[in-house]
Amino acid sequence: MSGNPLQDGLRLEPTPGPTTLVIFGATGDLTRRKLLPALYNLSRGQRLPARFSVIGVAREDQGDDRFRDAFRKSLAEFAGIKGADPVADSLAARLYFTGGDFSDRALFERLASKLAEIDGGGVLFYLAIPPTAYQSVIEQLGATGLSKGKSADQWRRIIVEKPFGTDLSTAQELNRIVHKHFDEEQVFRIDHYLGKETVQNLLVFRFGNGMFEPIWNRRYIDHVQITAAETVGVERRAAYYETAGALRDMVQNHLMQLLALVAMEPPIAFSAESVRDRKLDALLAAQPLITDGEGTPNVVRAQYGPGWVAGHEVPAYRGDVGVSPTSTTETYVALRMHLDSWRWAGVPFYLRTGKRMPKRTTEIAIQLRRPPLEIFKRVTPTPVAPNLLIVNVQPDEGISVRFEAKLPGTRMQLAPVMMNFRYGAAFGGPVPEAYETLLLDAMLGDPTLFARHDFVETSWSLITPVHEKWRTEQVSDLPFYEAGEWGPPEADALIARDNRRWRTL
Amino acid sequence: MNNPEPGNLLPQGRPVAFEEIEEALQNAAGETERRLAGTATLVIAGSAERLAEAAAALDQLSDIGVRTVLISYGENPEPPVRVSLHAVAVEGLCAEYLNNAVAALRLSSLPTLVWWRGGATSTLDGLAALADRLVLDAQDPTDVWAQVAALAEKTAISDLRWTRLTRWRALMAHCFDLPDVLAAASRMRSLRVEGADRHTARLFAGWIASMLRWPRGQSYEFREKAGGAPIEAVTLGDGSQELWLHLALTRSCVETSARVHGVDAVSRIVSLGDQGLAALIGEELRIRARDIAFERAVAASKGMR
Repeated sequence: MSGNPLQDGLRLEPTPGPTTLVIFGATGDLTRRKLLPALYNLSRGQRLPARFSVIGVAREDQGDDRFRDAFRKSLAEFAGIKGADPVADSLAARLYFTGGDFSDRALFERLASKLAEIDGGGVLFYLAIPPTAYQSVIEQLGATGLSKGKSADQWRRIIVEKPFGTDLSTAQELNRIVHKHFDEEQVFRIDHYLGKETVQNLLVFRFGNGMFEPIWNRRYIDHVQITAAETVGVERRAAYYETAGALRDMVQNHLMQLLALVAMEPPIAFSAESVRDRKLDALLAAQPLITDGEGTPNVVRAQYGPGWVAGHEVPAYRGDVGVSPTSTTETYVALRMHLDSWRWAGVPFYLRTGKRMPKRTTEIAIQLRRPPLEIFKRVTPTPVAPNLLIVNVQPDEGISVRFEAKLPGTRMQLAPVMMNFRYGAAFGGPVPEAYETLLLDAMLGDPTLFARHDFVETSWSLITPVHEKWRTEQVSDLPFYEAGEWGPPEADALIARDNRRWRTL
Repeated sequence: MNNPEPGNLLPQGRPVAFEEIEEALQNAAGETERRLAGTATLVIAGSAERLAEAAAALDQLSDIGVRTVLISYGENPEPPVRVSLHAVAVEGLCAEYLNNAVAALRLSSLPTLVWWRGGATSTLDGLAALADRLVLDAQDPTDVWAQVAALAEKTAISDLRWTRLTRWRALMAHCFDLPDVLAAASRMRSLRVEGADRHTARLFAGWIASMLRWPRGQSYEFREKAGGAPIEAVTLGDGSQELWLHLALTRSCVETSARVHGVDAVSRIVSLGDQGLAALIGEELRIRARDIAFERAVAASKGMR
């Protein structure tokens, strides 16, 4: 028999062939909070292959048993799995651990021996480590021959976590190092936003329906607002965040991905390359954020001061643990972008993201133009609200449409109403965590929901000039906003210049 | 057939006349702040006794935007009707009016799934014409399975026994993903299924036979385990080439093991998932396409005991 004859007509989605997942950074936060619970859920859902193993790798050598204990603790803490669980036990038995210095060739030789011993088919390397360690690991994987499989069944792939570089040149350098040892089709740059149902649904919404695409252009759309708001501060990530800031942490990856999904042209097929080509086109059409000369600014940055969030008094960013008291790192950024394309000429895209906002929410709001003639202005003293299409990315995934309706009664009165579609309400059942979707896609070799090298570099080419300009500015230029507010007045001014305002969320 | 006492199927519902059902549903929706997007109509038809069990499972489906219509068989041309937020119960309806009731109560423009819990097979033709999907669930499916090929020409058709096999089939298929198992597959020419339900076992055997293109008369054995789960264990092959799936002690998991050339190739425990009625019918509600594998399994199971 050539292929698996029992796969035809199975209701459960396809599972990968025999796979070993190698997690670099196996003792880290990402592994404990996200990766191990995701693997358990995949196993429960019968989405993992019959022959599947995990090798955890970290600097300190803790041995298989301690790694298995850590797995169980992670399930108890982050997946609510306590006590005996046969699925967890079965998966735990296939967890192994190898420790050592990432720059030490001996570690990778031990890893190679372990992989040969397991004989697990394909190998997926997951870099859940600080970016400073990427180069060592990638170079060692290449030097020891682990980056190349010997046959189609023994594929080798690598997942690289964000941040992928800190600016254009470092991203290019990282891509160069990766491509020295891995072909692009082996590389999966993860952005967990792309694993969310609503983000994937944006493709279905736009290209699986006939009613939206005809109005998805400059003739009917007035502007687009993309918001990613967090209530939390930097928590335990101060060391990273101090060097990153909101622009690197959120805009370069998550918000640019959302922008591309909204703005992209229809792909010719739902294939990884076609989708990623069109997303790249959308980003390539973006005009520079920093213009030469005295043009009006397209970017506003700010940092939160003390305030009150969700019923608690919170300190200023500069008062957070691990943050410099004179830090100029931005915790908020707002951008106005223009895409120089036939579809979007003249339609501004406003992006904003911040920490310590009043509400945790991520949404894309597409505001349509008002009707060309206001025939109801004699009966409605205020102008009718424009139609609005809102894609809720988190926390309550779904899509809403706002339109005008007649208020019941003998008089002609108009009022806006919302029509809501919510994933939880419409289809029931749990929505898979983004990491489950993305881990599985990487094992199956489907890169559709992962960032390609040219997209990452194009995104950095838009962002890097902003950082360069900020470096030349005085510290006193940094605006502040009170924690628990929707950003600084300068952000309101950015959008007010175009006679528009940020949505109140 | 006796008409059952009205109110048994939807005790929390309010009695209304048939022609007032839509208005009552609108009013019920207006009394709650929870507005759900409509996704489908689920019609459940069967005897009053078998519908009670289904009705109990419906609470778990109330959050997924499905309008549920329970119709129990009887002799009443104008049966009592009860309505709650997302459900309608028609109790003791004459079988000849079943189609009319479904035609009147289904949500237009959205899929209709008919969960048929047995009864006169003569009603199936008409239901198949109205349904986008017909899910059979008779206590003895022998007669109705004989009609599957004809019904499949009219609508997508499945069986709740088949739904129960989803995870078992996937587990068996995962074993075939292993190159060594796949290479040995042609030598695995016998199947033994243990469990409490002969029909479920026969369906599984039909699936194996159709997918592995077994000639008729290939070795198939059913071992009854009364009081157990519909399927307790499956053994494909024997001796040195053998795949063995069996319910673990917890009853919620399946242990799988594969032996190739006398050597253990793999062993693991995975969840069997929720096998409750609500979960099973919920699975069927997510499927829209024709299930060719089911039709072939039924055809291949013909004559198996």
